[in-house]
Amino acid sequence: MNFETVIGIEIHCELKTHTKMFSAGPSSFGEKPNSCVNEIDLGMPGCLPSLNRHAVELALRACMGTHCEIDPLLKFDRKNYYYSDLPKGFQITQQFHPIGKNGYIEIQVENETKKIRLNRIHMEEDTAKQFHTSTCSMIDFNRAGTPLIEIVSEPDMRSGAEAAAYVEELKNMLFYLGVSDCKMEEGSMRCDVNVSIRPEGSDTFGTKTEIKNLNSISNVQKAIDYEVSRQKELLLNGQSVDQETRRFDEATKTTVLMRKKEGSVDYKFFPEPNIFPVLLDRAWIDSIQKNLPELPAQRKEKYMEQYGLSEYDASTLIANKELSDFYDEVVKHTSEYKLASNWCMVELMAVLNKENRSFEENVCVPEHLAEMINMIVKGEISSKQAKTVFEEVVKGKDPKKVVEEKGMKQLSDPNEILKLVTQVLDSNEQAIVDFKNGKDRAVGALVGQIMKLSKGQANPKLANQILMEELKKR
Amino acid sequence: MRFSDCKNDVRKNVELCDKLTHLSQEKLNAVVTFIDPEEQIQEVEKKDSSLPLYGIPVAIKDNFNTKGIRTTASSRILDNYIPIYDATVVKKLKEAGAVCLVKTSMDELGMGGTNLNAYTGKVNNPYDVTRISGGSSGGSAALVAEGVVPCALGTDTGDSIRKPASYCGVVGMKPTYGRISRYGVIPYASSLDHVGFFTTCVEDAARMLKVCAGRDDHDLTSSYEPVPDYESQLNSDLHGKKIAVLENVMSSIQDQRIVDNFNEMVEKLKKRGAIVEKVTMDEALLQTLLPVYLIIANAEACANHSNLDGVRFGMREEGENLEEIMIHSRTKGFSSAVRKRFVLGSYSLFVENQDKLFRKAQKVRRVLVDAFSKVLDEYDCVMASAAPTIAPHPEDSVGEKMSDTYLVAENFMVLGNMSGYPSLTLPSGFVENCPIGINLTCKAFDEQTLLNIAKAMEEESGLANKTAGGAR
Repeated sequence: MNFETVIGIEIHCELKTHTKMFSAGPSSFGEKPNSCVNEIDLGMPGCLPSLNRHAVELALRACMGTHCEIDPLLKFDRKNYYYSDLPKGFQITQQFHPIGKNGYIEIQVENETKKIRLNRIHMEEDTAKQFHTSTCSMIDFNRAGTPLIEIVSEPDMRSGAEAAAYVEELKNMLFYLGVSDCKMEEGSMRCDVNVSIRPEGSDTFGTKTEIKNLNSISNVQKAIDYEVSRQKELLLNGQSVDQETRRFDEATKTTVLMRKKEGSVDYKFFPEPNIFPVLLDRAWIDSIQKNLPELPAQRKEKYMEQYGLSEYDASTLIANKELSDFYDEVVKHTSEYKLASNWCMVELMAVLNKENRSFEENVCVPEHLAEMINMIVKGEISSKQAKTVFEEVVKGKDPKKVVEEKGMKQLSDPNEILKLVTQVLDSNEQAIVDFKNGKDRAVGALVGQIMKLSKGQANPKLANQILMEELKKR
Repeated sequence: MRFSDCKNDVRKNVELCDKLTHLSQEKLNAVVTFIDPEEQIQEVEKKDSSLPLYGIPVAIKDNFNTKGIRTTASSRILDNYIPIYDATVVKKLKEAGAVCLVKTSMDELGMGGTNLNAYTGKVNNPYDVTRISGGSSGGSAALVAEGVVPCALGTDTGDSIRKPASYCGVVGMKPTYGRISRYGVIPYASSLDHVGFFTTCVEDAARMLKVCAGRDDHDLTSSYEPVPDYESQLNSDLHGKKIAVLENVMSSIQDQRIVDNFNEMVEKLKKRGAIVEKVTMDEALLQTLLPVYLIIANAEACANHSNLDGVRFGMREEGENLEEIMIHSRTKGFSSAVRKRFVLGSYSLFVENQDKLFRKAQKVRRVLVDAFSKVLDEYDCVMASAAPTIAPHPEDSVGEKMSDTYLVAENFMVLGNMSGYPSLTLPSGFVENCPIGINLTCKAFDEQTLLNIAKAMEEESGLANKTAGGAR
């Protein structure tokens, strides 16, 4: 029997704000445990929530990027349950009125574009982090109250590859929009996947399992692929799939049972009385829409249509937002788009990888790289010289200064070059004879000698041109 | 004791009140924690003597967070809780020059109307110690009534300031919802909780309100409405003022002495030029007040107090695992009355019950408020006896039982909490040497009218600054 896979994904994404969702406590990652908390984050008696305007703005950006309908009346609800990572004993979330609903994004799988619908995007607060040892449990409240959005897809994905493409596309988009730093490995983007299978052609859903907390895109695909095969085997053996929560085990590349789901938990949701509904100003929403950072798809189109880059180059650039941001800065100062993309993607990335540096450290001044590229095109330095210059440019040096200091200025004066050509030809009678006899290789050798004589400074193009003219005269 | 009794000698005022509150403890049992005032005295002495509450000793209900000072909300579970921050209104009082003297007893977590359910035991009525003070702000009411402090902070979720004010014979006011920040107040039910205070006269209430009121960014429900200078604008001229007497309450009261006292006051107000008319609201609707209140209040309360689990602060009872710690801490930490409320609140929030209980209660609340607001469209003020009896003995107190006799009269003041409208109780006389009081409620943010009418009534009753301990 052939089965169809049905996948829906819930993504929790930490918003890139300075402070928390409902308190002025600092948002942080990697700080000393329990150093970024105030009385609100600890759920001390008598605390009330305030609302982080920037978090609302970022949630709106996410809605805009995913074509969601925006609810301008912001409302929050309480989700009640007891757990040690939930200081207030309830979580403030948006159960009844999500800020965005009915959106979609487009993914590319095997050269086909597919629309994945989003059910909703809602805002909520993160819980504390727990660490369990054999003797005790420890709680770090730094994360408690960090702003989150939860993005819930419709069950529109049909394979692990589609699911991976969906997560990748969302991740890239949210990163471009400045909504989140989307670091799955650090938990700022967390993925729960619902998987079920059904006989092909069936229009009812099979029993689903939920795989929690997938921490990389490749694990999303691996977990789903394994889970699908596990469910298939169960069904083909006449067994049934149980509704349960599972986790992905990295070591065995399998999914492991966490708990059976027996009836759903009643979270006793009710409207949060301490936050009156907030009517968002239309003009504010419009200004966020107007100033929405460029989306990866828009950027790709610009690269291909305006800059004439290949689809491959454009895709490679946008896949790394920091690289693409840097490239955008470079091409503000040069119109050599293709050459600039090569230098960024190949040479610059090579240095970053080799020296284990990141764009955050201001690798090099974009203007400097643009200047260097312009110098190459103008023939002021050779491509070979450029490599030497580049080594200094990534140390923050101005290419013009480097060229001057190293005395690298390319020899482009035709009269000077002619002198060199004449000198080389005079002492290479045999090469001239070879050339006349049709041995083109001779030319290369002659150019080599000219370059050597000029200590590498002669403009090779010009030298070649003058050499050919002089050869014809002899 | 009134503000004007507190002269500019801060140390003298504070030390006197400190001594008197200590002395009153045996009689009233109103205090949970005494605060050594020395540090505050020294702080205040450096301040500008023109501050509105310069050197004024205040009593603070024990559900206001006071930094570094034990705050129990009269619950065992918070018996060792020492806050790391001050409630906004506590901060404001200090900035105005006040000295926090004591933390006062209350019904546990504000849940109750008798002050019988406090971890430190019941609070006695200053006029007759065999009677209750009323609650939940009973400790605050009793101390002001005894005359040992000029004012005290309270909170009011059902009538928790205005009922004890009536039983103890003091002015008790809760302004409009959002007028005073709730930040740092251990909640009972967020949508009904109000911060307010007790004083011995209307003038002092006007000053207290000015000090406490105003927008606080830490409380999103606090209002941006500007705060007028209520005290300097006090005006007891009642010409043309339209006052509605809530007949549903008055017609049910069986104690003729209370009715006569009320009617005498009505006549006096009429003589002053007020237009006083009887108004009857839909009786069946008003009979829903108590059940609607209990459903909403308990639902919000059970969520609000989920943070009291013994894990991060408060009294922890050990257990084999986290769940056991929470269960044991909460079982031992709360009285059975409070646990009962949590069960009721939780029940009305179950997904299968929400429509017929919690959401229905919210809808009826809306209907009640609409009906009440219609009355206030026609009148400047609604007036009725604050309680149908004098302070009862503990065994006679109805608390929140469904009293057939006084289902409306005992609970009508909750209209002020459901609507958020400003409401005030002030003493109007004595029956069997025990105080009785009258309650007034005005339109949202019309505290000035409320205070003005109260001022006129106070002039007529002659009970300004009347305390059980007498003038000192």
